[in-house]
Amino acid sequence: MTAPIDNTASTTALVGTRRLLPRLAGHGGVSWRRWRYPFTRRTPLLIETGYNPTTLATERRIVNPAPILWLIALAAIAVAPPVFGNSSFISAATTFALYAAINVIWMLTIGTAGIFSLASLATVGVGAFGAAYLSVYWGFPWWAMWMVGPVFGLIFGVLIAIPAIRLEGFYYALLTVGITELCRVYVIQSQKLGAAAYGLFGADGFVPKDMAERPGLIMGFYASFVVLLLALALYRAIDGQRLGRLLRAAPEKHEAFAEALGINYRAARIQVFLISSAALGGVGGFYATLLHGASPSLFTMDQLMLLLAMIVIGGIGRTEGAVLGTLIVVLFDKVFIGLGPARLVLIAGIMLATVLFTRGGLFGIPAQYRAWRGKRQTERRGQRSGKGGEVMPDEAMEIADKQSIVARRFDARVRAELKALITDALIEEHRTSANKRRSDALERVLTYFRRAAVADKYAVLAVKPFAEYRIVALSGRRGVPPRVVDDQVFTTPEAALHGVFLKRVSDLRDST
Amino acid sequence: MANIRICAYTDKLSVKPGETLSVMASTDSADRVRAQLVRLIHGDENPDGPGFIEQAIASPIDREWPARKQYIQKGHFLHVADAGGKLAASGPITLHAYIFPTLPQAGRQMLLGRWSVDGISGFGLGINPSGHLEFWVGDGHATDAVAADVKLVAQVWYFVAVSYDPASGAATLYQESVVNRYNSLLSKIVPYDYRAHVTETLRVRPALPTDTSFLIGAATERNPARGAFFSQCYNGKIDRCGVQGAALDRAALDAIRAGGAPDTAHVLAYWDTAAGYTGHGIGDTVVDTGPYQLHAEGYNRPVRGQTGWNWNGRNDSFRLAPHEYGGIEFHNDALLDCRWEPTLSLTIPADLRSGVYAVKLTAGDSAAEEYTPFFVRAASPKAPVCLLIPTASYLAYANIGTAFDGALLQSITASTPIFQELDIEVYKNDVEFGLSTYDTHNDGAGVCYSSYRRPIINMRPKYRAPGIGTLWQFPADLSIVGWLEAMKYDYEVITDEDLQREGVAALAPYRVVLNCTHNEYYSERMMDATEDYLAQGGRLLYLGGNGYYWCVGFRDDEPWVMEVRKLEAGSRAWQARPGEHYLATTGERSGLWRHRGRPPQKLVGVGFTSEGMDISVPYRRMPDSYHRAVSWIFEGVEGEVFGDFGLGLGGAAGIEIDRYDLTLGTPPHARILASSEPFTDNYPLVQEEVYFMTPGLGGTQHPMVRADIVYFTTPNHGAVFSTGSIAWGSALPCANYQNAVSRLTKNIVDAFLTPGALPGSSYDADERHRD
Repeated sequence: MTAPIDNTASTTALVGTRRLLPRLAGHGGVSWRRWRYPFTRRTPLLIETGYNPTTLATERRIVNPAPILWLIALAAIAVAPPVFGNSSFISAATTFALYAAINVIWMLTIGTAGIFSLASLATVGVGAFGAAYLSVYWGFPWWAMWMVGPVFGLIFGVLIAIPAIRLEGFYYALLTVGITELCRVYVIQSQKLGAAAYGLFGADGFVPKDMAERPGLIMGFYASFVVLLLALALYRAIDGQRLGRLLRAAPEKHEAFAEALGINYRAARIQVFLISSAALGGVGGFYATLLHGASPSLFTMDQLMLLLAMIVIGGIGRTEGAVLGTLIVVLFDKVFIGLGPARLVLIAGIMLATVLFTRGGLFGIPAQYRAWRGKRQTERRGQRSGKGGEVMPDEAMEIADKQSIVARRFDARVRAELKALITDALIEEHRTSANKRRSDALERVLTYFRRAAVADKYAVLAVKPFAEYRIVALSGRRGVPPRVVDDQVFTTPEAALHGVFLKRVSDLRDST
Repeated sequence: MANIRICAYTDKLSVKPGETLSVMASTDSADRVRAQLVRLIHGDENPDGPGFIEQAIASPIDREWPARKQYIQKGHFLHVADAGGKLAASGPITLHAYIFPTLPQAGRQMLLGRWSVDGISGFGLGINPSGHLEFWVGDGHATDAVAADVKLVAQVWYFVAVSYDPASGAATLYQESVVNRYNSLLSKIVPYDYRAHVTETLRVRPALPTDTSFLIGAATERNPARGAFFSQCYNGKIDRCGVQGAALDRAALDAIRAGGAPDTAHVLAYWDTAAGYTGHGIGDTVVDTGPYQLHAEGYNRPVRGQTGWNWNGRNDSFRLAPHEYGGIEFHNDALLDCRWEPTLSLTIPADLRSGVYAVKLTAGDSAAEEYTPFFVRAASPKAPVCLLIPTASYLAYANIGTAFDGALLQSITASTPIFQELDIEVYKNDVEFGLSTYDTHNDGAGVCYSSYRRPIINMRPKYRAPGIGTLWQFPADLSIVGWLEAMKYDYEVITDEDLQREGVAALAPYRVVLNCTHNEYYSERMMDATEDYLAQGGRLLYLGGNGYYWCVGFRDDEPWVMEVRKLEAGSRAWQARPGEHYLATTGERSGLWRHRGRPPQKLVGVGFTSEGMDISVPYRRMPDSYHRAVSWIFEGVEGEVFGDFGLGLGGAAGIEIDRYDLTLGTPPHARILASSEPFTDNYPLVQEEVYFMTPGLGGTQHPMVRADIVYFTTPNHGAVFSTGSIAWGSALPCANYQNAVSRLTKNIVDAFLTPGALPGSSYDADERHRD
């Protein structure tokens, strides 16, 4: 008898591709001195060396190319505006660098600490107004303004951290919006803070007064770029070190588990919040020295919304997302200013699209694509091969022991033959022949059952010897006990063994 | 409610009155255990037989004893007592070794070094969890490491090293394969590039806690409940290794890799793993030929005398070419001795009758109980009958786990395993009491050592072997004990251990010796003693199947450990690697006795021919049984067919069976008194009989699948009666010991008890037909 074999394999498309990019070869016998960043245990790139499964050649692969991409992107940002852009482009770039710095620091609050504060720009504003005030009325020079900015930020941070202990999520976000609005109203009504001039101006600046306009702009840009680099360094220092790791161990809804491990996640959150508040205040101080003062627009809702658009588009929780999102929004807002109000609609459109179609913003797209591809692959395989069917060419690539592919084909043939042998009479013979010689047909079926692999193989548990037996399935892994498969209870070992036989017959009939 | 558990073992299996026995117990959720000395009479709870029978014996241990949880240290490793702290990385250092990793991706594994896991301090050369060679250091707060860029390939010989200079922090790994035509799984035709040479400058400098030992194959760890123990055990082989007091450069390491002795100028330690071998075995001490003689001591007996990095396939034993056999094999799941503290000690009372005893341990009102069986010999033999307890074979099967792990087991036994809660408990705890010689280590290598200094769950009364649905060995052997009691014979017991120690002197005082159901594992001394006993006129009842089969070895000073190597033939759970066929314990070739010129037929007339565990069958008398020389054996046995009953699968012939074969040395005058009725096809012919593969090897088709009852005489009025069936013993208790199998056995024992000429011995001529 010939078993029906699913022959679709022969019509399946060929699998396997050529590499587009060459892989680095292994070091072989060459002595490799592996460099590290000074004063750290980190090596510049995470490189994985492995044997290519097709050729067994040694290959090196850069596991995470992010450092290289960062370097290229930052170099482009540093070089492009002064070299290629006009004055307005340079000021747009300056705005971008500053907003990117704010967003990166804000990410510490929202992403790392998980505190949904919308008062980030307000904190910058407090730092800016504080520094400007001290400069205008007390004569602080620019460098002193830089130093007092973080102090104002920290004080403001402490004030808004107190409700964060009691309020969570949406309610806290609302509260911070309210505080921002309060600041705006206060600033535009306070004579001392420049209600009349719509801003407090006249503060000292770090750009020398006798410098020409363009060099001054360029200097402002580079200073802002340095602020961005400092923000990235701060993010790395907080998120990538102890505090960040503590908080990663206490994600939303798993706080109780982290607490049980002895992690004081509340203290860690507040710490991160205060550090980022001080940093935002510092950016505010810098802002005041860049613009020679502070504007109430820092507290306006539209600015806040733009900021939110930046991090949503890039993807919350990623510095590269914060920077790219800022770049896109600033590009539309400042560079394509000719588009008029429509550009704001465009920004909203992009934001809506990212929220609707991506998980985790633009930088979440690669992972999303991989997940989608994996899902499609599984679906396709599911359509082509039933349980225990023929291995498909793309599946075969992932099976190291090729013999198991043969075994699966063999097994399918044997099962097809044995199914024909299973009759009610055969099952009855098994029930009544516990201690007797059995027919060749029954032995043939039993021989197949007995030879099965250990994982999920049926066995019997004597709950009470000679009184109570149940069917279990083996794990095939030392340390993992067999599991009870159903609630049937048998009173004799013979009955239990027949119960196992019935289960195996049923599994055989259900298989393809 | 907490789950109370008691596990225990004794330090000895064979004791005489006056000797002291210690019971080592560990308890879960109980701080006291109640002890009771019991005599074991019958061990099978099957309601078709007499049931479980024990007799409580009053003794001084009959009270409650304090008990506690005791821990088990698993894993092979070598411990270097470096009292002077010579092997510290305070200055430049090089660690080097030949290695043959077998499970490179089984978590962090230590090759050699001094590493405190919980203290994160020290240094070590090992394998990291992703399977790369790594050198790591720790100062008590932070660690630092350099890892090779290419992974280690399993079952390939490498030379690996690290050169480290704490002054500069530079650590250089050296990894090169030393594959030759014979030594590894793969040959040079495989295009792998195994090499790695990486240097990194480490920031952390190693701190060395003085209480952390230098170890080969393990690291030190502590926790508050357990104290100090050893973890991160290695899986694989290590050949010659050492420590040098200089950061050797590549050229110097190349020279060592090529097989040269390290330059003595820098050697701190050099373990010449092949040194100290003798023709009669290898000890547990690995010799350091360096200036400080820092010899390494094996824990759980790492397997020595294995093929080394330079094995070239021509020599097949460490006795022929020790320098090619420097491999020491390590496994992280090995266990030879729990080394528990004694919970109580029992001095065997002078008036305690020889027999099978146990200390029964219980805790409060809980159902938890534990029996630790042991065997009491006579202070000086007085009884005429001796029951020889096959403790060597008990060791071979100790804690066998194939019902869980062996995919083939259900095919071998032709039945589905029936487990008890105890089996599952032990399996769940990561097979906590170690493995049998039927199991494989985590890396797939066979287990060649077994010991009784650990709880053995299947050497207990009442225990039912999961694979076969009936009793196996010790509890089944109690059916013979129960029969001797029921027949009121004056008998004494001795064990394989006594036979091994004393030779024929252990058997000589007895007129009749009975074997138990399955005496499969025999050392040379045990074989010699049996042969000498029979040649001197001894009388033996071999009431079992598949006896005298495997060649095993014991050390004189550690009789609790047995070694076996399963070779290219026989009914074998695993097969030793090429070139690893000799016992490290004695230097003998292991494998089947048949392949060393001593098939069981030469000794007892029958030898292993088949096994199966679906049904047992009766015997049918053979024409030769009517000769007057032997017809007395069947007095009182009705009919041609007998033995269609038994607690061992419903017949007297079955489970494992033996047959008569003149070509294998059955004495020419032996007679087949009876032979089994046909078996099923689940009894196939044994592998060592299969030269060409043909269909029809099962019991319904092959004539050699049968159990033969054989009788023959030996010099000086000696005789052998063999049943060739494991199921025989379990048929004895049926119908309250009043049955044909019991009667036949009694006829033999009674006749053997009478000194001088045996019954029927005067009928030495052929009978004439008389009408």
